Amino acid sequence: MRGLVALLGPAKVLGTHDDLLLYEYDGAVDTATPDAVVLPDSTADVSALARFCHENAVPIVPRGAGTGLSGGAIPVEGGVVVSFARMARILEIDVPNLRAVVQPGVINLHLSTAVAPHGLYFVPDPSSQKACTLGGNVAENSGGPHTLAYGVTTNHVTGIEIVVSDGTVVRLGGKAVEDEGYDLVGTFVGSEGTLGLVTEITVKLTPLPEDKRTLMAAFPTMDEASETVSAIIAAGIVPSAIEMMDQLATQAVEAAVHAGYPLNAGGILLVEVDGPRDGLDEARARIEQICRDHAAREVRVATSALERERLWAGRKGAFAAMGRLSPDYYVQDGVIPRTRLPDILRLVKDAGARHRLRVANVFHAGDGNLHPLILFDSRLGPDELERAKAAGLEILTACVEAGGSITGEHGVGMEKNCYMPLQFQSSDLAAMRRVKNAFDPPGLMNPGKIFPTPSRCREFAFASTTR
Amino acid sequence: MTATVTRAIPTDATQCARILAQAAADRRTVRIRGSGTKSYLGDVGATDIELGTERVAGVIDHVPADLTVTVGAGTRMADLKVALEKAGQFIPLDPPHADGATVGGLIAANSNGFWRVRYGGVRDLLIGTRTALADGTVARAGGRVVKNVAGYDLDKLLVGSLGTLGVIVEATFKVLPLPETSDGLVARFDRPAEAFAVAHAIVRAAARVEACVVERTVEGWCVAVQARGSGPTVMRAMSDARQEVAARHGDAAELADAIDRMRELPARATDGALVKVSLPVAASAAFAENAERLESFAALAVDAASGVARVHLANEDDAVIRDAEALLLAARMVGGNGRVERRAEQLRSRLSTWPNRPNGDFLMRRVKEAFDPARILEPGRLAFA
Repeated sequence: MRGLVALLGPAKVLGTHDDLLLYEYDGAVDTATPDAVVLPDSTADVSALARFCHENAVPIVPRGAGTGLSGGAIPVEGGVVVSFARMARILEIDVPNLRAVVQPGVINLHLSTAVAPHGLYFVPDPSSQKACTLGGNVAENSGGPHTLAYGVTTNHVTGIEIVVSDGTVVRLGGKAVEDEGYDLVGTFVGSEGTLGLVTEITVKLTPLPEDKRTLMAAFPTMDEASETVSAIIAAGIVPSAIEMMDQLATQAVEAAVHAGYPLNAGGILLVEVDGPRDGLDEARARIEQICRDHAAREVRVATSALERERLWAGRKGAFAAMGRLSPDYYVQDGVIPRTRLPDILRLVKDAGARHRLRVANVFHAGDGNLHPLILFDSRLGPDELERAKAAGLEILTACVEAGGSITGEHGVGMEKNCYMPLQFQSSDLAAMRRVKNAFDPPGLMNPGKIFPTPSRCREFAFASTTR
Repeated sequence: MTATVTRAIPTDATQCARILAQAAADRRTVRIRGSGTKSYLGDVGATDIELGTERVAGVIDHVPADLTVTVGAGTRMADLKVALEKAGQFIPLDPPHADGATVGGLIAANSNGFWRVRYGGVRDLLIGTRTALADGTVARAGGRVVKNVAGYDLDKLLVGSLGTLGVIVEATFKVLPLPETSDGLVARFDRPAEAFAVAHAIVRAAARVEACVVERTVEGWCVAVQARGSGPTVMRAMSDARQEVAARHGDAAELADAIDRMRELPARATDGALVKVSLPVAASAAFAENAERLESFAALAVDAASGVARVHLANEDDAVIRDAEALLLAARMVGGNGRVERRAEQLRSRLSTWPNRPNGDFLMRRVKEAFDPARILEPGRLAFA
């Protein structure tokens, strides 16, 4: 503590018990208290801090807005939490080159708002976009509903400035679409703070679509809704978003947001197409027909911006609405090939039933990215969370067996690092380790994340999957 | 090159890894060869073993409804195209050397064409790999699903690594349904400023085109535009493009094979030097105008949407070298970067691929060291790694 204050001054270091308590949690279920919190306001501060931690062998854990859903910002092995709250400026909006240069603490939605007058936006739109930071988006390679057609964070970042564990500042990439040598920008994005601290980001800006069509379709069961998703994609239509919601989720959303979803539907799809005005109505009509061919009871097309916003408000407010159903929820983020949706969704339901827990589903169906919300009540005892985690593990195992992934956009963090051997063999993980060691030889950058740790993963001795 | 190059042709990933482990133990260097279309890339030194990927070829898994395909790295892009067409789909990549290029070579060379504006590049469409490493292990990265953030994105590390980190043996890509219709045009302009103004307006228009390229040959400046997709969107894109062309007094004609010709500039540029740069898009007009004035200028093609430009220089060696270095400096001055992508054999000793090191080269060296400590893979190909 004293060393940090001497290095950066008292205004940039927090260390009282009350201060530290505010930094011991994020959007997930695990907690740990940092030894100190540092609020740098420049790359030079971050570099000095990294050098200090390097000399004293102290772990560094970066933190944006703390909205992460895998415990990425939790100092599980102690050390210094670095909050980027004071590095939150948009440094440049470069309209001719369709780029923005930002500091890591800039809030996702603020960037899109700032560039909207130029007819541009930043594509990745996580549900937490009103709060989450672009630094956090880079760390987690965040997605969102509208990444189906336009890609996730890694597809929209062309340059970064990072500080590696010995304090060296490195600029990688820039405004150009390619750089020479290894694609270290692409390697860094999604590394969850384990390779270094990002201090500046150059992102692509995208022209806003000329128009959109948004429709909601209600189906008797999730099976018909799932088959509709595959049918839309197979028809050659690439919507900008296809979101799905089950009946339990619909009920919670309707109680909270009044989005106008029918309460008696077994499954609901929210589909959006955007682009040039020409062809949009044709695409909308084709989607509508596919929905009806798959037994949709009701198809409602938003006829105004207000109606579209109302339909989306239900989807974006879904996680928050879960409070109406249950005091706590544990959300999983597995991915499956789209064609496996019906059987995996049945399996999700069974896993919940087996552990005597309700599961609500609100997810990015278009890219097969599930978000089962396992509802539990921690007031009833520690057993509740344990059962929720057990059900979650069963779901992730099924995702991997279906040829998928344990996480599509929330990250591995400290929540799923023990599950990595489900998806990867030891040689796969060893290859990732090589990258870790190249960037961070002393292992001080966000330790205890992504890779299984012997101390915390003892009970998860998976037989290495043979594929 | 040494006279006694052993050829090794593994039939699967495990065998490939075993060959590498043995080579590492014997300190014998390995060059990787798909079909050899891009063997001119980088600064290759003498090698003991040439490892061919032709037996790790073919479609391994294709689930049309999932829009993904998994193939052996030795698969030729042309063969993959035929296989996908049978299911009404295509891989939205249009690399140069379209006839011969293999999937593995495409990834290792980060070989992109002009479709990037619409569909993304190799790094955006590759979702999974299996790679044989120098220690004899096989590492899988990514997967067969379109969204995946489990662990590091090693696929990205392999894209453009020129075989220096491992031998890619299998790859999974996103694919798309074949577009319904296609249309295009090529328009001539008197001045480069007009050509670029039109091209930049077209790539930013609401109806997204598939390719938009500015070319300068002995015949003058021209812009080639291609749109594919559903009927109404293609009609709109081309009607907007024609308006832009007319507004700047361009002379529009049928597209014919103009885009294919522009894409294959690297295949034709066997003499002199071919400089490839990646620029902030707004800098590409001034860059192209300056390039045209160089003594050894022969031709150029600029992807108007991505800012990737190729300039063919052909003249006396001294002029080519001077002009190539001037172009790379010009690219750096505007925040871009580049390389001498191809040069005539006699220029190899005098003109290196990268006169300057990129940022972060110390990290690249550490990555190389971590994957290939014995330095057997593609020695010299990526000089700074």
